[in-house]
Amino acid sequence: MASVPAPSPSIRLEPAQAILLVLLAAEVALFSAIGTNFLTLGNGFEVLRLSVEIGLLAVALTPVIVSGGIDLSVGSLMGLSAVIFGTFWRDFGLTIALAAPMTLAVGALAGGLNGLLITRLRIPPLIVTLGSFSLFRGLAEGMTGGVDNFTHFPAAFLFLGQGYLPGDIPSQLPIFLAVAAGFWVLLHRSTVGRSLFAIGFSPEGARYAGLPVDRRVGLVYVLSGAISSLAAVIYVAHLGQAKADAGTGYELLAITAVVLGGTSIFGGRGSIMGTLLGLLAIAVLQNGLRLADLPAELAGVLTGALLLLAIGLDHRAGRSPGRTHAATTTLPDDEVMIVKNAQVAVICASILAAGLIVGGTNVYLVGSLRDKGPTATMSPASRTLPSPSLEPRPEARQLTIAMMPKSKGNAYFIACRKGAEDAARERNIKLIWDGPTDPDPAKQNDIVDTWITRGVDAIAVAVENREGISSVLRKARAKGIKVVTWDADADPDARDLFVNQATPRGIAEALMDNTARVLGGKGEFAIITASLTAANMIAWQKEIEIRRASKYPDIKLAELRPCDDLQKKAFDETNTLLASNPNIKVIMAICTPAVPGAAEAIKQSGRTDVKVVGLGLPNDNKPYVHEGITDTVILWNTADLGYLAVLTAQAVVEGKLKAGDPKFEAGHLGVVTLEGDNVLLGKPFAFTKENIDKFDF
Amino acid sequence: MIGKHRRELSVAAAYLLVLGLLGLFAPQFFGPKPLVDFAVRNASVLVAASGMTLVILARQIDISVGSQASVCAVVAGLLARSGLPMPMVGAGTLLAGAGLGAVNGWLVAGLGLPSIVVTLAMLVILRESLRYLREGEFVRGLPSDFQWFGMGQGTGQWLVVGIALGVFAAMAWGMRYLSAGRAVYATGSDPEAARLAGIRPRLVTFEVFVAMGALTGLYALLNVVQLPAVDPNTGKGMEMQVIAAAVVGGAAVSGGRGTLIGTLIGVLLLGTINPALVFLGLSAQWEKAIQGGIILLAVASDGLTRGSK
Repeated sequence: MASVPAPSPSIRLEPAQAILLVLLAAEVALFSAIGTNFLTLGNGFEVLRLSVEIGLLAVALTPVIVSGGIDLSVGSLMGLSAVIFGTFWRDFGLTIALAAPMTLAVGALAGGLNGLLITRLRIPPLIVTLGSFSLFRGLAEGMTGGVDNFTHFPAAFLFLGQGYLPGDIPSQLPIFLAVAAGFWVLLHRSTVGRSLFAIGFSPEGARYAGLPVDRRVGLVYVLSGAISSLAAVIYVAHLGQAKADAGTGYELLAITAVVLGGTSIFGGRGSIMGTLLGLLAIAVLQNGLRLADLPAELAGVLTGALLLLAIGLDHRAGRSPGRTHAATTTLPDDEVMIVKNAQVAVICASILAAGLIVGGTNVYLVGSLRDKGPTATMSPASRTLPSPSLEPRPEARQLTIAMMPKSKGNAYFIACRKGAEDAARERNIKLIWDGPTDPDPAKQNDIVDTWITRGVDAIAVAVENREGISSVLRKARAKGIKVVTWDADADPDARDLFVNQATPRGIAEALMDNTARVLGGKGEFAIITASLTAANMIAWQKEIEIRRASKYPDIKLAELRPCDDLQKKAFDETNTLLASNPNIKVIMAICTPAVPGAAEAIKQSGRTDVKVVGLGLPNDNKPYVHEGITDTVILWNTADLGYLAVLTAQAVVEGKLKAGDPKFEAGHLGVVTLEGDNVLLGKPFAFTKENIDKFDF
Repeated sequence: MIGKHRRELSVAAAYLLVLGLLGLFAPQFFGPKPLVDFAVRNASVLVAASGMTLVILARQIDISVGSQASVCAVVAGLLARSGLPMPMVGAGTLLAGAGLGAVNGWLVAGLGLPSIVVTLAMLVILRESLRYLREGEFVRGLPSDFQWFGMGQGTGQWLVVGIALGVFAAMAWGMRYLSAGRAVYATGSDPEAARLAGIRPRLVTFEVFVAMGALTGLYALLNVVQLPAVDPNTGKGMEMQVIAAAVVGGAAVSGGRGTLIGTLIGVLLLGTINPALVFLGLSAQWEKAIQGGIILLAVASDGLTRGSK
């Protein structure tokens, strides 16, 4: 067995890092060609700002993984730290300057718990942190009920996450660089770092060599905990809110960055430099794809493919001996796979060539589409059109409207999108449709930020997170972009108009009134919600409770259960509710997949005395409405909502519509009224047995 | 004997404790309807967790099973809607799963890449591709023989539970008494020694991933037949659930140690927590914390007793 590898010197690049550098260069070249405003200093800083939180986690995870461990709990610990930070500041009345270090101490303590279980009880890190992954997030949800949201932090603190230092440098960047430098010294320039490599390479060997293995391993988990808390504090400043869902899913992104950077998942090899490059490769990819108006899913697919490619290229036989290694690296009949530099060069060249081909076909496609005339260019599928700023059209300039749903992959928003696309086609508007693909509440901000860089005429957002997104929408308005909100509103000064299909109050009252009617004014009901932390669900639950308390005191909310937006889980939860509490006579399902899920559970249980009142799509629920299981489904015409949002955005950009106008001519919807700065689609509609067949969406 | 199955016993004790609490405070949990619900709900989880146990025994991990299950669920729905008879739909779903498993297996066993990274990449690739193609839309308009395999709820429920138990029993027996099963243990314990004993560790690893994929297909199938429309998010996040069930049940991530009986107990324990909280009238907000606490306690108690020896 070879000697412990020397800490990687900063001057000589490892193959993994060379691959990444080439890859980064290819990305930059590609996106400069097909993205709008990609190669600008401002965009460079924006990319860095958006990668700080995940970057901190990745940097802290590098020594963990180098030492042969893993920490899956970092994202959950961010949620817990955010909530604790908020509690210290708001409930205990501590100053920020005091609350932040105390939060870091709590994070270090939580990391210490991981370290203790791993070193003292000899439980594998994967299992320990899998448990604390649930535990930390669960504690955060438990402390706040998932609902409590700490906001209105002082401006000086928000500056840390949103402000700029002289030279347009994002204010959190120096902190990140300092932490990265600190970890670089720790890992590559200190005896502690050397011992971590030794431990990752061979823990037994390190022990026999007299290294304090347990203390060193414990240290990296304590550090990873403390840095997770630091990431949480910056995240809170960035978003302006502290909630239990902070950092959801960040652990996988951070691990991806570390592994992409050439750190061996089995330990013994890795570098901070590589992690930073891996982080940049992912961040640039995401940002570039958005600026090229390509869908967010592609970023995920390409990140996964990059990961496979990088690890495949980097794979060398015999580099990962040790205790708990995957069979394959020690599989004896493995042929020795040494990737030679020449092979690396060939593969990198082919990536580059592929990139150029994609870029080239895009340019070609744009040209051919433009030849076909305006009608061919309307569909959002042809996302490769040049932006108006690059290609000013001699005749009327084509407007670019960027539109964002709360999340992608939700049937409700597919229907909205259809209406939006109709409007775009009708009015010759270039429509960009993109949104978050995961439940990370910070994602909407990232996307709006990128759209500001890209340059669009108007942004139309279905707001997931009012406190979080308003700051970035104000920034968009300051740059002259018109902002319209739809589906759910932001702060009034953060947008020009709100396309109001129904207020949380309107929805809640319709749901509660129908529930009360079914119950005959007396009895118990249960709510199936999407998740305990989703902002819109919380708003509805609050209004439902207000309505219930004021108008229906004889009705009792027996249970509130989350279903993770899954039909099957809603089905299972309803089954449990029906069996555990026979007094429940109405299941109120307030997320789209839960309505048919709950109805199916009632149908299968044979209980004819329980009904569903829900918020969902008519097509999902027709059979249950006809069978009399689902009494009422509340919704509005979602296609009309998308249509109206686009037309409103267009009218605002063209100066034909402003807050205070009495009415507005909205294409095939006819005349739509305004109330102050709200464009009203109409009241929520109750689909029942009598009318549901007239609708198809 | 007791020393050998210490983890299984400590988890079984925890399970009995939860059952005892339920018996004291919420005896209605033991009614016929809740028990049937419980069995049907956890049947598919048992299938996937058994597959995961195989993977872990072979010293690997597969965190892409949740995304695989979503793909398989949509495949099942689309096949059924295209008018294929139900047995063909089932076979197609399992094949789709086995195909996805074979990709993982090829990358891990064929190219020698670390499974945690390979399956992390696959998790993202499959999930995002599926979302791009389906945009979260349910597969509706399924033929009448889709739900409960066209047998009606009563028979269908027992069929779902029966298939799961049958697969589980066959696997548990095979792992103990068939050479193929012993080969998995051998590969996970020491690949070099396994090779010298005439076992081909790479082939075994590949086959384990294919089996995991097929079982994930079965997981998806057993889930979607319970409902008349297919949710394209079926199985999202279930990787954590089944990995937790396997490791709580005593499967060692260092490979070669663990039993399917332990996994069964792990599935029972983790599957009981959620309904138990509802029946005991506890709020949903503490559920994750309790789940995490129980996982940590179960593994810590094992570590403590081992440490004291």
